[in-house]
This record gives sequence, structure tokens and C-alpha cells, in this order.
Amino acid sequence: MDITKLKIREMRKLLDNKEISSLELTQIYIDRIKKYDGKLESYITVTEEIALNEAEKAQDIINSGKAGELCGIPLAIKDNICTDGVKTTCASKMLEDFVPPYDATVMEKLNAENIVMLGKTSMDEFAMGGSTQTSAFAKTKNPYDINRVPGGSSGGSASCVSASLCAAALGSDTGGSIRQPAAFCGVTGLKPTYGRVSRYGLVAFASSFDQIGPIAKDAHDCAIILNAIAGYDRHDGTASKLPAADYTSKINMSMDGVKIALPKEFYGEGIDREIADAVMKAAEEYEKMGAVLVECSMPSLKYAVPAYYLISSAEASSNLSRYDGIKYGHRSESGDDFNQLICNSRSEGFGSEVKRRILLGNYALSSGYYDAYYGKALALRQRISAEYDSIFENCDMILTPTTPSAAYGVNENISDPVKMYKADICTVTANIASLPAISTTCGYNADGMPIGMSLVGKKFDEASIIGAADAFERSFEYKAPELI
Amino acid sequence: MDLEMVSYLSKLGKLSFTDEELQKTAEEMTGIIEIMDTVKEIDVVYDAFADNKNVYLNDLREDASEASMATGKILQNAENSENCFVVPKVVE
Repeated sequence: MDITKLKIREMRKLLDNKEISSLELTQIYIDRIKKYDGKLESYITVTEEIALNEAEKAQDIINSGKAGELCGIPLAIKDNICTDGVKTTCASKMLEDFVPPYDATVMEKLNAENIVMLGKTSMDEFAMGGSTQTSAFAKTKNPYDINRVPGGSSGGSASCVSASLCAAALGSDTGGSIRQPAAFCGVTGLKPTYGRVSRYGLVAFASSFDQIGPIAKDAHDCAIILNAIAGYDRHDGTASKLPAADYTSKINMSMDGVKIALPKEFYGEGIDREIADAVMKAAEEYEKMGAVLVECSMPSLKYAVPAYYLISSAEASSNLSRYDGIKYGHRSESGDDFNQLICNSRSEGFGSEVKRRILLGNYALSSGYYDAYYGKALALRQRISAEYDSIFENCDMILTPTTPSAAYGVNENISDPVKMYKADICTVTANIASLPAISTTCGYNADGMPIGMSLVGKKFDEASIIGAADAFERSFEYKAPELI
Repeated sequence: MDLEMVSYLSKLGKLSFTDEELQKTAEEMTGIIEIMDTVKEIDVVYDAFADNKNVYLNDLREDASEASMATGKILQNAENSENCFVVPKVVE
């Protein structure tokens, strides 16, 4: 039995029954990382020593009979989530040597559960991108085909879950950065409702969209992790005070009578035929389980990508103004005056995509352009949210493709920002409307690459979309990647 | 987007480009702005009240003192610390 192929709750049984120790389990993952990650490049930092120490502590708790669901489970953390004493680079030269002096709230919560942290995973620089090829340190590959991208920006987390280089991982999702790489790498990724999980300690990209969530082997494992990280946090003014639920409560739920809406715009122009067909086939599977399919429309979908990029870039241009090379981060060796030092530090520290977003954000917020771009984008955000509200009057959840195409080659699209931006069409609306969404694998294309479908839920109803994803996964014939 | 606008935006963002980079960036930004321009097609108006009606300005956490972070920890990322942030001399 290859223990790394097991789900979290299956590992839990083995650990609790003393069939394997936490230290042995951790060592197996470390050995796999050493064996495979040279090619995959899913980790930026592997924290072997920390992991082995945490495994020993976890074993003491297991021995005392007080282990929770995540005690001793080896997890990976996206490198934009602050970890006390462990480098957090955001895959940027700007933060190459940054060691946070505190833990993000999600890390405090996971550490309280006595997880084992295996390391920090690669990502697109400052989470801006959909390929993980803008990472300054590790251009992650897809475990199904190392000549293809893993998606992004949480590409490192999705890749290492897919390749079983960790049991599960944390990612962050601003416009699809959990769901899109989960789809490309054939795993399950959940973006919770905005405000469900604290953003304290998540390096800010676009503060009104950013949300931390789990990437795991299936929906049930995502629910277990969400149970650990969800909830109010007084350090995050946007964290919801609504009590967190038990997100495993609808595992094994019946789909009988569940209304699933299919917005027609998500299945038309710009979506690969085999992707649309695979998701429609999944819809038919749900129908066989007793679900009711509902036709619907989201007329403003065609404006979603520009609205998302205008707002997120405007927020990014403000958030990234803190990187001046003075208090922390890259500092240029040259600069004769204050402004030149800052300008040189930022120009050397940021990569091309980050610079483009700063320019776009400044453009959208500039005098004379503000109303035409930023103001219009905010209005569209309200329009798209209203269209979701209208759809949810007649359904329980919405089913769409996660991506317009399956994972593409590592050298494709990277130099074409317009093409990259348009590829976010299927995911950005959930962020725009602050809704929860989960992506799970629903098929494989002719090249054997995974195809993802997304279930979008009502605000704070993560349990229902987790339950529906689980219902599909139970009968889906999953194909693991064959690592070289 | 013309070179003048890219230069202006770069100045706002405290970024610098070589002439060659500036040319390439202008071309890329032209393509990006073309997509952004599609928002001009639709007639919608932002309702600030609708976005802010659930913001309660009195919903603040208690104003109580708490233990501060250790100075050494905060300074661990400063390049040259003598119990303070040491920066290059930039005042002329």
C-alpha cells in the first residue's frame, strides 16, 4: 500500500491505530519530495527539520489519545501565507529573504491542530498569474505531464497534492487561484466565501477578493481542513462573525431534488468543446442521482474579466506600494536619492506581470479614467452579484467548467497577458460576488489531462457544494498521474 | 497606450523601464486596455450606498493594550539593524 495515496481520514485511522507513526509518515513524504520535486518544482522551501520536530510532537498527542483530525497530517502551505520563522517569499525577488515575525491566523489554527508542515509551495509572483511560470524561484510543472503548467497561482500547492508530495495544502484564491490549478492537476480545490477564513497574515494582492482555502485529494478532505481554518478573527476586519459550520455535515448527502443551475454563457464561445461536454456529462450524472437541472443565464459574464482585472489591479497597485526596499524586502544597491532608491528597488524586485498589474491599477485609478474604468468595474461587480442572486432564487447551486481549456504547455500563453487574462473567465465571478466555489475533476481530455468542474454555492453554504462534489467523486473513476 | 502614458504610470508606481522595456510594455498594455475598454459598452452606475450599508463604523474591537511584538523579531528583516531600521543616507 502506498500510504501517500490515501485521504486524510484514512491516514488518521492508521495513525490512531498505531499502524504507522507520525514520524514515519512524515519521512515518507520527505523522501518523495526529494525523489520527485527536482522535476516538479512544487516547493520553494522544504522545512524538513521543522516537519520532523512537529511529527514527534504530534506523536505524543496521538499517544495520549487526544489527536484531532489533522494531528500529524503532513501539509504544504502556499508561500504567500506568513509562517513565523520560515521564509515567505510570494515567489518574488522582492521578498526573497523575508522571514515573517508572526504566523498567519490560518497557521495558528493549523498549528493548534498539530499538523506537520512539510514546506512552502511555489506560486505565481504575488499570486498574479495562472501558470506558476511567473515564480521567481520554482516554475512548477504538472504531474500529469511535466511539459505542461500546473495552473496558478497556487500551482505549487495543486501540483504537490496531485503528486502526493503532501497530504493536502493551503492555497489562496483571488480570481481562481485555488480552483484553476486544482482543475489542471486533477485534485479538489475550495475557495470559501469571502470572510469565511481570516486573511490575517496572507500577503495582500487584492484585499476585497483574496481568500485562503484548501486543495486536497477530494471534497471530504477539503471539508476537514476548512473545519480547522474557518471562523471569525479579530485581526481581520472583513472576517465574518457568522459562526463556522461543520463542513463535513453534507458528506454522503443525497442529491435527490437538489436544484443545479447551468448558466448557458459558461458553456458557449471560448470554452473547449471537450471541456463543455465533460461538464455537461457530469450534470447528467447529477440528474441520474436525482438532482434537477435548471437552465439560466448570466448576461454580464462577458464583462467579468475586465471588471475583475480593473478592481484587482487597482487594489494591487495600492497594496504593493508598501514594498519600498526600506523596512523589508529587496533593496537596490544603487539610488542617489530617496525616490531613486525606491524606484530601483521596486524595478529590480518585481517581475514583469506584477509591474503590468501596477500600471493597470494606476491607470484605472488615475484622474480622468477613474469613473470610466474603476467606477464602472465596481458597478459591474454589483450587477454580477445581482445576477447571481437572481439565479439562486431558483436553484441550490451552480455548475460550470472551472477552465476554458485543460493544462497547456509550459511555453504557451506565458508571453501573451491578454490570453492569460481571458482564461480566467470561468472563475472570477465567484470572487466578484464573494461566493464559495469548489472545483473537482470530472473527466480527462484526449491527451489524458484532467478536466475540472466548479460548483458555486450561496454565501456561507460551503457545506452544500462540498456535499455535491463528494457525491460526484464517489462514483468518478479517478486516474492518478504517473510520475516519471 | 502611448509611451508617454506608460512613463506617467511608471512614475506613479515608482517603477523604471529601459527604452526597450518601455516599448514592449506599451504594446502589452495596449492589448490589455482593449479588453478593459469593453466595460464602457454597458450602461451601469455604481451604487456606493448599496456597498456600504452593512458597514458599521462602531463595530470595532475593544481598545485595549496588548503585548507588543519583540523588537528583535520585527527587525530581523531589516538589512542592518542597531535596534532600529538603518537606511542609506538619502537626504541631501
